[in-house]
Amino acid sequence: MPFNPLEQRGIPLDRQMRTWRELDVQPIDPDRCDPYTRCRIITMNGIEIEAVLFSHHMARHCPDQDVRRQLAQTRAVEAQQQKAVNWLLPGVASVLETTIAYEQVAVDLTAWVARMEPDPYLRQAYQFGLLEDFDHLYRYANLYEMIEHRKAEEIVQGLTEIMPGRPTKYHHRDPRDNVRDPYDRSSTDPLSKLHALTIMSAEQQTMNFYLNVGPQYMEPIARQLYQEIGLIEEEHVTHYESLVDPGETWWEQLVNHEYNECYLYYSFMEQEPDPKVKAIWELHLNMELEHLRIACDLMRRNDGREPEEVVAPELPNVLTFEPNKGYVRELLATQIDLTTLGTGYVREAHERFQAMQALLNDGDRPPSERVMEQHRDMFGREYRLETEGEHPEPSLRSHD
Amino acid sequence: MADRSGSGAIGGEDDVVALLMRQHGDIRNLFDEVERATGEQRRDAFRRLVRLLAVHETAEEEVVHPVARRSFDGGEGMVEDRLREEKQAKEKLSRLDGMDTGDPGFLPLLMELRTEVMAHARAEERYEFIQLRRHTDPGQLATMAKAVRAAEAVAPTRPHPGVETAAKNIALGPMAATIDRARDTVRKAMGKEG
Repeated sequence: MPFNPLEQRGIPLDRQMRTWRELDVQPIDPDRCDPYTRCRIITMNGIEIEAVLFSHHMARHCPDQDVRRQLAQTRAVEAQQQKAVNWLLPGVASVLETTIAYEQVAVDLTAWVARMEPDPYLRQAYQFGLLEDFDHLYRYANLYEMIEHRKAEEIVQGLTEIMPGRPTKYHHRDPRDNVRDPYDRSSTDPLSKLHALTIMSAEQQTMNFYLNVGPQYMEPIARQLYQEIGLIEEEHVTHYESLVDPGETWWEQLVNHEYNECYLYYSFMEQEPDPKVKAIWELHLNMELEHLRIACDLMRRNDGREPEEVVAPELPNVLTFEPNKGYVRELLATQIDLTTLGTGYVREAHERFQAMQALLNDGDRPPSERVMEQHRDMFGREYRLETEGEHPEPSLRSHD
Repeated sequence: MADRSGSGAIGGEDDVVALLMRQHGDIRNLFDEVERATGEQRRDAFRRLVRLLAVHETAEEEVVHPVARRSFDGGEGMVEDRLREEKQAKEKLSRLDGMDTGDPGFLPLLMELRTEVMAHARAEERYEFIQLRRHTDPGQLATMAKAVRAAEAVAPTRPHPGVETAAKNIALGPMAATIDRARDTVRKAMGKEG
């Protein structure tokens, strides 16, 4: 049955504030949960953090005190939603375990979005980023085994493969080459707007997570790897945020944010096997429906536009966490050697790319290379999880 | 093997903290192995888990906690918290030790123990080990690592060739004997009389 969030009534805003008891959620068991439950939690945390940050920025640009008060009310609820969601993560998980789960999100969320994206230019942007996060997963998995003597397959549970992607050392591009062309807000498919917002929010949270937790490690190689990949996540935020049409008004952007939250909570509610977590997705969906209604009213009043002019008349196909092994392998076989030049993609290492590489490396090898060497020193092999056969790219096959 | 990175941290051979953190991983791996195995193999994996837990906790009690107690402010209370957790886990472990691994009550109790042991290990890593690295010098960490490694030899995490059978594993000794042996080994390595 099609679900149209514009026609649904949610929980009235004045009944959305939660008590301490209601915020005190029961965390998932890291060793017994569905890995995709953890992926959904990490995704929605990124979405809620973006909701809060976006609302703050909007308020800073808004001269109307009544609107600022309205934004503050909704934002306070969103801040609670973020707490309820992210506190589902358990204290017993180590930072590296959570990191590996973040990269599993980046792989399987981006792969789904790339598969469903109707616009070929946008699809290429997701495919490009996907192969980089896929390589981050592999580097962190090797670090994890070094520090904790655990294999990352206990975290990803075989749903996502772990092997080299586009090697991390090649992700350091001239910053100018990270800026993409935006979609056109008036002609693009509404689904494309949701995709861009979702992946941008997820990568932004990944960037923030690494830049905060990286220095908590004492092991020099761990600190250095978080620094390196943290910098790449900033490139990814640039890459994905530049896909969004900068001509969207603040009101329109607010509507897109709230609509996207409805879309994702609805999607995750539909597929969540953990009943306690599912109840949270359902509750939050019912809150977001009201946030969307408020945002639509603000847009009507200030832009004189109806929400139907901006968003889809009904929710698109639910966004699903599922294995994407075949899809990823296809990209590995065909797109591993891509880099960006201007707003396009090329296969050769061009001058600006090489200049950036030379500047950063200065004759050394980056942490993402050294972590593999140190892993090999400890174990005499590297760590991979290749469930579907050897690596599709011959030059990246294991020699162990 | 010397630490080739020159960092002194991740190689783990001369850093007691890296070594114990990896043992935490080994313990978790063994919990998984016990849970996934059946019959004779489960019995064997469980024997190895019991030995590793006994040796690991003994090494921490003998080597790590005493240093932590006197090395930093609040060390005394922090160690008391860890010992309480260890005592609780040991009680559960000896209950399991007295059970048949095929008993229907075995797995649920094992899962309880696993949850407690994991929480205990993270608490050590976050509240004790961090302080230890901060307040002890590399020489001390290396001496402690040597003692823990000596104890580790008492409890192999993988089946030893030739001792795969339950009968021979039992011949290696029950939990209490393992603890005694680990304690003696650690004390010798630390230069004390056992």
